[in-house]
Amino acid sequence: MIGIENITNHNGWAMAAVGATIVFSGLVVLSFVISQIHKLLKLWEDREKLIDRFKKKAPPAVAEKVDAPAYSERHLPSVDELTGAYKPLVDQLEESFKISQLFEIANKNDMPHPHLSIQRLQEADILVAQGDGTFTWNQPKGK
Amino acid sequence: MFDLFFQFLTNTGYYLADYRHYIMIVVGSTFLYLGTAKKYEPLLLVPIGFGILVGNIPFFKGFGIGIYEANSVLHYLYFGVTTGVYPSIVFLGLGAMTDFSSLLAQPKLMLLGAAAQMGIYFTLLGALFFGFAPREAASIAIIGGADGPTSIFLTAKLAPHLIGPIAIAAYSYMALIPVIQPPIMRLLTTRKERLIKMPPARKVSKKELMIFPVAGVLLCCFLAPTALPLLGMLFLGNFLKECGVVNRLANTAQSAIVDTATIFLGFTVGCSTQADVFLTPKSLGIFFLGAVAFSIATASGLIFAKIMNLFLKDKINPLLGAAGVSAVPGSAREVHLMGLKEDPTNFLLMHGMACNSSGVIGSAICAGILWSFFV
Repeated sequence: MIGIENITNHNGWAMAAVGATIVFSGLVVLSFVISQIHKLLKLWEDREKLIDRFKKKAPPAVAEKVDAPAYSERHLPSVDELTGAYKPLVDQLEESFKISQLFEIANKNDMPHPHLSIQRLQEADILVAQGDGTFTWNQPKGK
Repeated sequence: MFDLFFQFLTNTGYYLADYRHYIMIVVGSTFLYLGTAKKYEPLLLVPIGFGILVGNIPFFKGFGIGIYEANSVLHYLYFGVTTGVYPSIVFLGLGAMTDFSSLLAQPKLMLLGAAAQMGIYFTLLGALFFGFAPREAASIAIIGGADGPTSIFLTAKLAPHLIGPIAIAAYSYMALIPVIQPPIMRLLTTRKERLIKMPPARKVSKKELMIFPVAGVLLCCFLAPTALPLLGMLFLGNFLKECGVVNRLANTAQSAIVDTATIFLGFTVGCSTQADVFLTPKSLGIFFLGAVAFSIATASGLIFAKIMNLFLKDKINPLLGAAGVSAVPGSAREVHLMGLKEDPTNFLLMHGMACNSSGVIGSAICAGILWSFFV
């Protein structure tokens, strides 16, 4: 037997359609999974930051972090220098702002070590948490 | 004394040979020529070509010499082919040699590897159309994956009597990539499309490379458990390479082990082309359908890449679709060369390798799926 009849008799159409669908969907799923691996890894590596965000640490808890490792102290400018550098950036924001906004604007301005600098400003109570996820600059604007 | 001499003469290959043996010896010599002089896939064509010569030296049947005779040395060596052992070992080495970073950097290219598998299913229909039995048709169709070990593995499971012609067809078309693919690529793409430059791939972390084989084996083998002997070994080899703590094993897998398996696989497949078994109308049909399968696979990848471009903001070079077949690294190299021909600054090799490696995974899944249809 040959021809279309042979294909139909041996269930060829179904085999081709099902096989093609399975392999295509399998590889689509695999490609989706591998496209997410680096994102999941980044989440895992930033897990402490995420946990901190969820815990919404109160200011005293932040203050405990004053005993930060010495290496961060050695490479960063003093609090006064940081205040001078970050004041113009804060002036571009509203009265109370989110830390992420300050990070973003600091990154845009190529500020060195924005995470460590902002952390130090928090520790020095220049940036004051309002308890609702926002912060204020504790000096009057424009000073 | 003369009787003894004439008896000896009648036992020689010169006396026993017929025209079919000479045809096959010419075929074997051609393989050796292509492998050595033209350097077309020499690692495959040289052992296969020599195997064809050895397998087609006429001998007196019943002495336990031939590959199809029980208890012969060649028969024992051929055991690795008929049981699917050699293809699995080759996949182990392939995994240990493959760098999946370009695929991880651009997962969307995996779709081209999936699209190129359509050649397999079109050929399945074609083989059934021409009157092949379903198991034979499935074995012939897998040639469209352009993966020698996978073709041998599936054929050993479904239609062992066709291993010779199918293996020869699969490896021949892999070696003939520089002849088969470029015309199809030119036919189905415009110059403007061939000039599309791919963005540089992002850097992939070591952890990603380690997670991939684990995720891959779980996802693929849960989907098609029958592909375990191939994909299990492929991802094992890759994990050995990427985990970084068993470099000795990875080095052995990608050198001594895969080389040994390749020698025995190629040689015994060559030997299995004994003229009386190989030169049949069926073999001709298999060669014809194999060429169709390979061409459709190439065209499917190219056309799918063009379809993807209709929806993508950052267009991909459709030539990459031709690398979706799993002929590693031949088709990626061909895509790269064609890209360079159009624009000497357009480097497509690593992007092509991404499609190639997804093609290897895709064709192994296809083999598993086809096998499972007949379990």
